[in-house]
Amino acid sequence: MAGTADLDSAMATAGEPISEQEALQRLRQSEDQSDSYYAAWWLGRMRSRHPETVPLLRAALRRRQPRALSSGVEENAVARNAARALGKLGDPQAIPDLLAALEDEDDGLREAAARALGELRASEAVSPICARLASDQAGQPLPNSLRLREPCEALIEALGDIGVAAADVVAAIQPFATHERPLIRSAAARALFQLTQDRRWGQNLIELLEHPLLQVRRSALMDLGAVGWRAALEPIRDTLAENSLKLIALRGLVERGQAPPDTETVLRVMDDLL
Amino acid sequence: MSKTADDGLGLIRPWIRAVERADSADGLQKATENLAGALAALAKADHQGESPCDPEGLDAIDCLLQVLGFNNPGAAVAAVDGVIAIGPPAVEPLLGSLDQRNYGARAWAVRALAGIGDVRGLDLLESALSSDIGPSVRRAAARGLGQLRLEALPQIEQINVRQRCLDALLGGGGDGEWVVRYAVAVGLERLLLGMGRAEPGHRSGLQALQELAGEPGDDTPVVRLRAGLALSRLTGGAGC
Repeated sequence: MAGTADLDSAMATAGEPISEQEALQRLRQSEDQSDSYYAAWWLGRMRSRHPETVPLLRAALRRRQPRALSSGVEENAVARNAARALGKLGDPQAIPDLLAALEDEDDGLREAAARALGELRASEAVSPICARLASDQAGQPLPNSLRLREPCEALIEALGDIGVAAADVVAAIQPFATHERPLIRSAAARALFQLTQDRRWGQNLIELLEHPLLQVRRSALMDLGAVGWRAALEPIRDTLAENSLKLIALRGLVERGQAPPDTETVLRVMDDLL
Repeated sequence: MSKTADDGLGLIRPWIRAVERADSADGLQKATENLAGALAALAKADHQGESPCDPEGLDAIDCLLQVLGFNNPGAAVAAVDGVIAIGPPAVEPLLGSLDQRNYGARAWAVRALAGIGDVRGLDLLESALSSDIGPSVRRAAARGLGQLRLEALPQIEQINVRQRCLDALLGGGGDGEWVVRYAVAVGLERLLLGMGRAEPGHRSGLQALQELAGEPGDDTPVVRLRAGLALSRLTGGAGC
């Protein structure tokens, strides 16, 4: 699932208000990583349209800063946030840099780049992403880690968002529909539904709404919202999860889905969840 | 049943115990649903609208308010239903129980207040919509501001309260979160449905909905759609 929405809103509330000029200035300097980290996030969140924004973010993405433990931020933190922001800003000029980041050895950066390429609907990314998914043991955990060798969830979701419904793309995703991890199965069902419109994948997502783990139910909610399948209206309403997430999913049904049921029916369910 | 709540409380006490004894998420949800169901049955059977408010009834309220603080959405939904079934006697305990540190619990409590629609909740709904840090709390408050039950108040008082609700909702129309603006559209629809067209405020309420629905309107498509639906219900065939 695209799990950044809640983080974004939390930071929007908690973060200090700064001006666009201040954000650009913080991104220009490279001494204080926390400052540029926040600035990169801010510019994406605020959908900055300043002419310097995209060039500065691309530069920040290319500059793979080594990890500075003292700064309290993750490895390649600025580059990762720059990738996320470039995804939100929708400027295709960022695609070559994101494709390069997709080949980085830091899997966290590959994940951020894949999500951004999905948001940009970058068809150039389809074959490198498929190659990553097909690589040896892509879906196996890294030694001594919970992370998989490839950021499979992000890679698969990007393919669904980009929307190239070729047979080899579907074939690259399909093995993950039976992956042992439910979050990967959810991502695969979402992408396969987007690409094929085959209801059986929507049905898989509805089944995941009853998974014993809350985290999986949340993810399936977001994935049904992303595909906008209105047949899921009642199962979404009845899922044991926070109303906030159900409302996000139902917004997807309204904005992306088609009748039946009609829009007014979906809105009525949303009203009851407020 | 309309004379005394004893019979009802005899029925309720075991359900309270079951909630207190629940030792799993599922068990808590089931037990809370049962308690809420028993309270709703009692409220329904009692045509006076008098709900259990003696010490044992307060036990049921305390029990449900505690459930709102657990991170268990299924049980919280049931607990909100139970609190709403208890109705006005639950308002003071609700107002006294708000947990400043737990905004999930605050959202459920504001939802319960919104469902009861008691005018004693007005101050809280106003401040929640204007300044609570949790979007889920602001959203519940906006909905509640559209559905206060004012029938029992004198006419002039009703107009004053509706004006306060309207002012709060107009402020909430500029909220940064789409879901809060969505709730503001819903709140405005319900508030204006209960308002005479000549009443001061009716026009500014419609205007706020037009700003959300019209050109260019709200950035978020679902908010535009909801505000447009509200306008068509308010200015279309409904009423005069």
